Amino acid sequence: MKRFLIYITKIIAIIILIAVALDGLYTAVFLQSKNRGKIETIFNSKAQKYDVVILGSSRANNHFVSQMFEDKGLETFNYGISGGHLFEASLMLKLMIERKYVIKNVILEADLNLSNDKESEGVSAKFLPFIHNSKVIKKHFLTLENFNELYYLPFYRYIKYDSKIGFREIYKILKNEPTNALNNLGYYPLEKHKKGNMKNNIVNLNPLPHNKYYEEIKSICKDNNIKLIAVMTPMCENVTGMYYFEKVKKAYPEIYNYENTVIENKYFSSCGHMTNTGAKIFTARILKDFFNK
Amino acid sequence: MFFNSLAFAIFLPIAFLLYWFVFNKNKSTQNALLILASYYFYSCWDWRFLFLLVFSTFLDYYTGIQIEKGKSEGSRKFWFWLSISVNLGFLGIFKYYNFFAVSFADLLISVGLKASPILLNVILPVGISFYTFHGLSYVIDIYYKRIKAEYNFVDYSLFVSYFPLLVAGPIERATHLLPQVKVKRDFNFEKAKEGICQIVWGLVKKVVIADTCATYANAIFDNYTSMNSLSLILGAIYFAFQIYGDFSGYSDIALGVSKLFGLDLLRNFNYPYFSRDIAEFWRRWHISLSSWFRDYLYIPLGGSKGGIWMKIRNTFIIFVVSGFWHGANWTYIAWGFINALYFLPLLLSKSNRNNIDDIRLKFNFDSVKVIISILSTFLLTCIAWVFFRAKTVTDAVLYLKSIIIKRDFGFQYLDNERYNYELILMIGLFVLVEWNNRTKVEPLSGKRSMLRIALAVGAIIAFGTYSDYKEFIYFQF
Repeated sequence: MKRFLIYITKIIAIIILIAVALDGLYTAVFLQSKNRGKIETIFNSKAQKYDVVILGSSRANNHFVSQMFEDKGLETFNYGISGGHLFEASLMLKLMIERKYVIKNVILEADLNLSNDKESEGVSAKFLPFIHNSKVIKKHFLTLENFNELYYLPFYRYIKYDSKIGFREIYKILKNEPTNALNNLGYYPLEKHKKGNMKNNIVNLNPLPHNKYYEEIKSICKDNNIKLIAVMTPMCENVTGMYYFEKVKKAYPEIYNYENTVIENKYFSSCGHMTNTGAKIFTARILKDFFNK
Repeated sequence: MFFNSLAFAIFLPIAFLLYWFVFNKNKSTQNALLILASYYFYSCWDWRFLFLLVFSTFLDYYTGIQIEKGKSEGSRKFWFWLSISVNLGFLGIFKYYNFFAVSFADLLISVGLKASPILLNVILPVGISFYTFHGLSYVIDIYYKRIKAEYNFVDYSLFVSYFPLLVAGPIERATHLLPQVKVKRDFNFEKAKEGICQIVWGLVKKVVIADTCATYANAIFDNYTSMNSLSLILGAIYFAFQIYGDFSGYSDIALGVSKLFGLDLLRNFNYPYFSRDIAEFWRRWHISLSSWFRDYLYIPLGGSKGGIWMKIRNTFIIFVVSGFWHGANWTYIAWGFINALYFLPLLLSKSNRNNIDDIRLKFNFDSVKVIISILSTFLLTCIAWVFFRAKTVTDAVLYLKSIIIKRDFGFQYLDNERYNYELILMIGLFVLVEWNNRTKVEPLSGKRSMLRIALAVGAIIAFGTYSDYKEFIYFQF
């Protein structure tokens, strides 16, 4: 039995050593990732200057045409992430501040995402390779239930989110294979889809009265003299439960309601996402209203 | 509690330490601990079905004794048929009732009659097909006086409920396992080491091969109408490796875990994809089930003795019943039927036992023939797997038809956000490792075992699929 216990101890030691080695290797690869996504790009960047930074979910990513801002002389990047929640938007802004970005305006898409203050697993996973290299990220994740496993167990985060930050992602970083996330200054244009879901029911959706991460973004902007422009972006005609946007306005009077700026279905790829044409109409309105351009 | 779960990783060391350090005084205490551990393990799935397991165990225990004690043939027959009908009754109600009710209603509707079947809203108790077959083989063997009845209820319960084999086999025989539980087990370092190697290799098969193949196979099978010929061919191959990695991986872990407790279970897989014909495939795939059906169905029906029609009848019965054992769906029946079609020519030409020797390759023409026969057997198996995996028989036929009709062999981007060809290298490497170690139970033991284990652990950690978590396929049967 003693021999067996020694044998098992050796195997456990091997498992730990491999996990530690792989953890170090994967993290090192992520630390030099450049053209794969917005999160890695911010983390591995140095100080930048922006007139406008756009944050939010896909409803920011697909709705704000960065080039139109640039054409008006405003240095802009769309950091909206498809599937992202305010948890990630807040952390991205914190990372930008940590890297000493100078930002004049933040346009935040704040509408449907105000209904929860949880992390988006798929998106937040992209921050995890850097959890040991950034106090900001560590602190931001402290509130998560599985923080201890993610932080202290070597390689656990890469196993848990293997489809996002696992072997395939490492291979693609090493191959220097770019994604389209950084094209068009971060804006992702959508086309009209025949199969696009043009019905949406948000009757049961309610904005949280004090969304923790929205409040966090507000206070970061205040502390760093950044003008925060929080907007609700358009939805298609067939939405059931449009009262949601009024509920948002009631809870957060400072958020501008642009839900009605574009309504016709022809401008939508799916009910919550405008086509490139719709996005251009919407961006023109934002430029006019907030930047007099 | 899956074998590849954190809960099991905690449960196993606790059971192991208690077994060898606290309950190791005699075989009774060892068996008692294993029974408790097994019932706890089973109750983690659904504690309500524990009563069914205990009842089924008690029924077979009691009827076994009554059959042995029976003074008249009538009395022996009564207890025998009581056990058979109750066991099959449970299986029928939980697993097959809804299938028969719906199929009967469909039949009535097809001839223009109205029918609305009364369906049971029950979930299938985990492992019912496996522990029912344990009990059946025990009772049948006593009835035919091949074995003596077991009078110690704890020992018998352990034979039925032993946790490594409880939910997905291997389907044990009383002649093999009961003698082992009747004696005190002493710790054997070499056996325990073998067990660890088998567990680690089983995990490689499950999380690296099966679960990774599953993401591709699912993406292809679930969208087969939009897939090109190459994707459809690869989909069938990926599923072949998914089900092999999944089930043989499970069996390896079960056998390995059991070795840690000093008990040997029946080998369930012997590198089936290296078979040179379908008969050999069935001697290497799910061996415990194939041999169960051979001994308790095929041979009692007359086996391959009798005339030509008897042989054909018996072959179709055993394969179709074997398919139906997997699940209440026409796809499994079709899968069994196709395998019977494959097997029949070998049986009728008396060449079903041609390939019982080990495979050895040299640089000569005979070896080329062997490689071709292995590849063609694998191809036939993949065609049959399409029926096993498809949702309906029509889907399976359309799937196979599309391979021929579409004639597009280009690379294709799948729903799982990966290209159809991406897994070929990994599968090739896996086949190579298995081929080079085909004379061994698993490839990790032997020279430089620690290095092999380290590589396997590295593969599990780095290449395993975890986020899209999948349970073992055979748990549903």
